[in-house]
Amino acid sequence: MSRANLALIVLIGLIATLPLFGGAYALRLGTMACMYAIFALSWNVVGGFAGYPSFATAAFFGFGAYASGVLLGAGLPLWLAVIVSGVAALIAAGALGAALLRLRGHYFAIASLSLVEVLRELVNNATDLTGGGMGLNIPLAAGSGIMADALFFFYAMWILMLATALTVMWVAGSKLGFGLACIRQNETAASMVGLNTTLYKSLAFALSACFVASAGGIYAAWVHYIDPSDVFDILYSVKPIVMTLIGGLGSPLGALCGALVYLGLEEVVWRNYIQIHTGVLGLLIVMLLLFLPHGLVSLRLARLFGKAKHV
Amino acid sequence: MQAVQILINALVLGCLYACIAIGFSLVWGVLNVINLIHGSFIVLGAYLAFGLYHALLLSPWYAVVIAAPLFFVFGYLLQRLLLNRVITAPVLVTLTLTFGLDLILNNAMIYFFTADYRKLILSPPLGSVSLFHVVVPVDRLIATVSALALTGLLYLLLRRSRIGRAIVAVRLDRDAAVLMGVDVKQVYAIAFGLGAALAGCAGVLMALIFPISPLTSSAYLGKAFVVCVLGGLGSVSGALAGGVLLALVEGIGATFVGPSLATTLSFVLLIVFLIARPQGLVGRKGFE
Amino acid sequence: MNRTFFARCTRLLPVLAMSLAAAAPLSRAAAEDVIRFGAPLPITGPLAPEAVKQQQGYNLWAEEANKAGGISVGGKKYKVEIVYVDYQSSTPRAVQATEQMITQDNVNFLFGAFGSGAAKAASTVSEKYKVPTLAATASSVQVYDQGYKYLFGTFTPNDTLTMPLTKIIQVKVPEVKKVAILARNDLFPLAIAQEMEKSAKAAGLEVVYFEKYAIGTIDHSAALSAIKSLSPQWIFITGYINDLLLARKQMVDQEIKAPVVTMIAGPAYQEFIDGGGQSAENITSASWWHPAEHYEGEDIFGSTANFVKLFKAKYGSEPDYGQASAALCGALFQMAIEKAGTLDRDKVRDELAKLDVVTFFGPVRFGPTGQINSLDPPVFQIQGGKPIVHVPRCHQAGRAEGGGELVKRLFRGART
Repeated sequence: MSRANLALIVLIGLIATLPLFGGAYALRLGTMACMYAIFALSWNVVGGFAGYPSFATAAFFGFGAYASGVLLGAGLPLWLAVIVSGVAALIAAGALGAALLRLRGHYFAIASLSLVEVLRELVNNATDLTGGGMGLNIPLAAGSGIMADALFFFYAMWILMLATALTVMWVAGSKLGFGLACIRQNETAASMVGLNTTLYKSLAFALSACFVASAGGIYAAWVHYIDPSDVFDILYSVKPIVMTLIGGLGSPLGALCGALVYLGLEEVVWRNYIQIHTGVLGLLIVMLLLFLPHGLVSLRLARLFGKAKHV
Repeated sequence: MQAVQILINALVLGCLYACIAIGFSLVWGVLNVINLIHGSFIVLGAYLAFGLYHALLLSPWYAVVIAAPLFFVFGYLLQRLLLNRVITAPVLVTLTLTFGLDLILNNAMIYFFTADYRKLILSPPLGSVSLFHVVVPVDRLIATVSALALTGLLYLLLRRSRIGRAIVAVRLDRDAAVLMGVDVKQVYAIAFGLGAALAGCAGVLMALIFPISPLTSSAYLGKAFVVCVLGGLGSVSGALAGGVLLALVEGIGATFVGPSLATTLSFVLLIVFLIARPQGLVGRKGFE
Repeated sequence: MNRTFFARCTRLLPVLAMSLAAAAPLSRAAAEDVIRFGAPLPITGPLAPEAVKQQQGYNLWAEEANKAGGISVGGKKYKVEIVYVDYQSSTPRAVQATEQMITQDNVNFLFGAFGSGAAKAASTVSEKYKVPTLAATASSVQVYDQGYKYLFGTFTPNDTLTMPLTKIIQVKVPEVKKVAILARNDLFPLAIAQEMEKSAKAAGLEVVYFEKYAIGTIDHSAALSAIKSLSPQWIFITGYINDLLLARKQMVDQEIKAPVVTMIAGPAYQEFIDGGGQSAENITSASWWHPAEHYEGEDIFGSTANFVKLFKAKYGSEPDYGQASAALCGALFQMAIEKAGTLDRDKVRDELAKLDVVTFFGPVRFGPTGQINSLDPPVFQIQGGKPIVHVPRCHQAGRAEGGGELVKRLFRGART
């Protein structure tokens, strides 16, 4: 196991100890952190490994939230609802990916963006099933305390994050990961040497969807109420990109660090600049891109001590 | 008669959409940058018209003349000072950068103008003209004519002027243009400035028709996206064709399947176009 | 190599400095003798204009309460402090903000998040921590039927708006037979449209058109053309100010006329009248409160007129129902706390449940679910740039007391 992957596992392990230090609010933040990490890690598969700028994260998230919400309303247990949503998203995204991933660059970006719009409007119009613009109430899990509730959702999200990280690490080291890297560098050449690029890209797209959809399911149960403009918020698509850019494109460790840093920044900015916090967030994004274009992983610790392999 | 009215409505609305999209299309086509600030530029233009009318009683027709140079300079500087630093970076970086800039500009507008909806009301109101029971509002008619005029001007500029041909050259083949001695940085900045100026003018015209608030910027941006893809990138006539097609689909969709599905329909159309005809109605193949 | 590293560090400095500067004000000293009220509001995002209104209401109350020395609790005066947290118009953020205020900012009491959806979602948190919450803008019955004990709301259910409206229209404009309804596909606008459909059907009117439009629609011409071809006598459109201004403008542009045009929830706002200009004339609407009402209250604001005067002096504009309801929530908390004589959350909650008072907003009494059940929402029409109020049960209020003739003219004028 490479050092970066080891660091990733250690970091995830450290996050699991959060309940030792914080109360319910810290756990809420921790749950958000795990959710963001799932987004960033998942997006990294298609955006970082394969180099396809996907804006579909919000579509998968909303899909998962609504699928689980409806299933929970029908009386399914949470774990089953979450798994069903994840698998459904895996299949749907794989099929969609085969069509959409023929597009490149901006065109793919826009197609994935439109996916969010289409799904949102479909959910909005399927009033009988989803409540449409009125939102969907998810039944409360039967009587548990404040802390028990917080702990439950924190660990549910954490386990999902762990699963995501393990899968992503496995992909990175597998033939699939190698194929995706080839596609990123030169797709034409990759297909000429016999790589089934469509299959690889669809797999990447599907993998980037299933964990996000499952996270949506846990999220729906966690907040008890979802509505289309909330879970299909385009910001859910943009945030993982910013996180990955903060951490460093293509690196799972970077994605996780990026997610944590982003959440921290968001929290600090949100608390202290009520009137102008989106502006401050924008400023941070702009500065990061201009001054730290390769993310935090480009600041290797080794360089601090002058032991770099080459300059 | 209702059918004719729907068609006329769609044609007029289509020209408005073209007006909204044309600057966005130019920037995308030439710089290969998805300019997410575009929507906020339009809103800023609308505020300019609103402010000038209320402070100086200056009619929006004059506001167009003021907005164009102001926004050109703004856009030019923005490109020269900020965007140019990452212009060669992957799609994702430029996209995220303009996203960040949009957050800043939009938040600044909310901070200074508040998010309240305002409306520019001309007195006396322009009213509507009606012919054989088909009604067309005068303000939309004016915006339509202006959209056509702006499109024509841009077309002439790109075809006839030196800088216009340089822009076209850079768009077609950046490297070749450099070899021929074109100052690409300058061309990029001018194209971005033009895009901003077009957005500003569009904003002034939209102020006559739509309520004004920083919150409307995403609606404008969304329309610009769809129009560009439907029409074809960076093509002047493409924006017009895309705008009219979008408006027709929305109008007919709203009539036959209900207004709430009209937007869905337009996005489905967008995805179909992306897959089946990525170069758009008018565009040429090979632009990515 | 070192050079690049230093270069990187210096480039990073502004980022670090900003984060530090941002973190600094985190440590806030807790002051003595202050009652802290938490108000989660959508200060940014699409609902931002509504948040400003809520804030104006809360601030006006806090200022008045503090001017009078504060809230007296068992003979001791406490100053009022309102803690605002922005939830960016996103429902889960509202839930998070509510928990943050309870556990981090140590608020004593809470105001509900804006609108029915967010208020409902956030109420699960305040219920968990047993913090009394007054929701200023949640009208849907579904918010209150969860069996929660700590949630109270100052808006009556949606059908209390559409039922009296339908009755008045039927009496005053008997030629109304066909109704067309166009609704924004969004929580409140859609709910009220559905209530309208029920009320219309119950009154024997024919609903010839009922369609939803998507959030963010910027052109209504197709829907309006369809409505025009059905020639209904009553056109009922729901949405927020921007939607309604746009729809109204397009109606005028396309020369669509109907004897009665009703719009909810814009016309109660001054912005609608300003933004609509001539075209706002004769629009009918209904809301939960109106500055033209006359109540003599026992609360800190006293009469409706006094509230309007104070509001105008502070903000230079007429208050609308959102601002008034927010101020009312503050005033109700004050009354309940003073009656309880303690800051104990359960005791204050019990006092809230027992309240039966007249306020500048009208009589206030909460039903068993926590939703107010003592108000008659006013129906009004815009005339001469001013809303003219007609209150269903015709108590002292309104300039429409002439009943018959004036009201008749009032509702017949709605031809554009």
